[in-house]
Amino acid sequence: MSTQLRLDNVSKIYGAEDTSVKVLKDISLEVKAGEFVAIVGPSGSGKSTFLSIAGALLSPTNGTVTIGGQEISRLSSQQLTDIRLQKIGFIFQSANLIPYLTVRDQLILIGELAGMKKSHSKKKATELLSRLGLGHRLHHYPESLSGGERQRVAIARAWMNDPEIILADEPTASLDSERGRDVVHMLADEVKSRGKAAVMVTHDHRMLDLCDRVVHMEDGKLSVS
Amino acid sequence: MFMAIRELRHAKTRYILISLIMVLIAWLVLFVTGLAQGLSSDNASSIQTMNADYLVLQHNSDQRLTRSTLEHHTLEEVKQQTANAEATPLGVQMSTVTSDYNDKRIDVTYFAINPQSMLAPQVVEGHMINDSSSLEAVVDRSLKEKGLKLGDVIHDQASGQAFTIIGFTKGQSFSHTPVVHINFADWKSIHQNRSIKEDELAFNAIAVKGTKEIADGIKTQVSGVEVISKSQSLQGIPGYKEEQGSLLMMVAFLFIIAAFVLAVFFYVMTIQKMSQFGVLKAIGAKMSYLARGLISQVLMLSIISLAIGIGLTYGVSLLLPESMPFELNAGVITICTILFLFVSLLGSLLSLYRVAKVDAIEAIGRAA
Repeated sequence: MSTQLRLDNVSKIYGAEDTSVKVLKDISLEVKAGEFVAIVGPSGSGKSTFLSIAGALLSPTNGTVTIGGQEISRLSSQQLTDIRLQKIGFIFQSANLIPYLTVRDQLILIGELAGMKKSHSKKKATELLSRLGLGHRLHHYPESLSGGERQRVAIARAWMNDPEIILADEPTASLDSERGRDVVHMLADEVKSRGKAAVMVTHDHRMLDLCDRVVHMEDGKLSVS
Repeated sequence: MFMAIRELRHAKTRYILISLIMVLIAWLVLFVTGLAQGLSSDNASSIQTMNADYLVLQHNSDQRLTRSTLEHHTLEEVKQQTANAEATPLGVQMSTVTSDYNDKRIDVTYFAINPQSMLAPQVVEGHMINDSSSLEAVVDRSLKEKGLKLGDVIHDQASGQAFTIIGFTKGQSFSHTPVVHINFADWKSIHQNRSIKEDELAFNAIAVKGTKEIADGIKTQVSGVEVISKSQSLQGIPGYKEEQGSLLMMVAFLFIIAAFVLAVFFYVMTIQKMSQFGVLKAIGAKMSYLARGLISQVLMLSIISLAIGIGLTYGVSLLLPESMPFELNAGVITICTILFLFVSLLGSLLSLYRVAKVDAIEAIGRAA
């Protein structure tokens, strides 16, 4: 199995020397293709910083990050934007869809950004949405969808660019447990069937049985349970 | 463009309201500009269309034709300087006349010229005066609206002289009054009761057609004169500067207001969408993509508003009464359009700055 995401001795320090805060301390993690990893931990433990570094939003102070075989820890912010567009799929806490785009246009936008052909991205978007049970919602705006449906659109959007890895930031935070479970289940299924990888940061312990591996984060350190 | 157009469609009311304000501002800008242009030519078309480049005035006359008095020997000195170029005297006298029909008084301005010189106006009806004509005049055709026609006689109030109208000219006004062209023999006759010596021909200015070198030559070689360009002399027409100045100030303020209205509108919209921009950047949208979207929105709104504004201006100008001075040509509209687009882009800079400052990281760890 190939490695989709790999962090080697990554640490992140905020602030200048005397007032510096070490948020991540020598973290190493490897996520293989087809693997669905959950990261749990109290707030303030560094989960968001971890996700930002793994998601090419932030550069680590020390250590290396590799996504789909490419080292990204020393790239410029322009290059990082490209990495995010090509190799990473994000799912945010509250779906964060664009309010003035229809469900299908949310996905076509990703195709636009990546310079995909319009007809191709239309077809792909329709396919993805039907697969996630949203075939009848293509031309609805986010405001008329339920919370669970919105989060499913967000999952579809994350797959739109064929990413190496999906990063989910508490995707169930705004859902009740039944809907939340549905959403995570769908995510897990997609990861398996596509042979890609996913990392989910969560508070919700009821979802952990759907993950292949659970990693605990506390005070900037990872420990496998 | 993908997002820009969809957003405009989705938030129609919002964008229609802002376009409405833009339409009104564009309309007002064009209308006031047209009025300024119209007034300018209504005021001073005789100078604007004059076939001369420079005017020689008496020293210290403040660029005002009406304040200057020159004598014959100055004309001779100027002619020595101009060599081949033309130099010809011009007499200007504001006065009041009455017609045969009624006692209604009409303000006019006499232009005394040599009928063969370059200053001869274009006659559109009747025929031109000549050197030997006596007590005959060609007048601006705006006097037709007052009921005058060829062969009618006008009486000069100050001197009591009567002139027969033998021709009509077009576009000849000075300080909002129609110009009455006469020759210098008649010019003397309306000044009879002033003490002018027989051969001392006094007039107000010398019109010169020639290059800047010639003008400079006159300036240095002839004493007691100042040489001004045609556009400078416009400023010296009573009321011209004040009229144009206040209208120009209105137009300038309208442009500034347009810039601010757009700036504030897009700034508020941008602030509302900060979290969206964070998400877009997180999923890989480049700043250039977001900037293009914003700018295309601003341009689309401005262009549509301008088009409607131009249409409205023309529509309303057709409804205006003839006597209302209004003039708008394609050149002026083009300049206004470019300026308008420029200030709207200027107005969007603040929003662009805010978008550029949004950090993609804000999308993580936040329940929006």
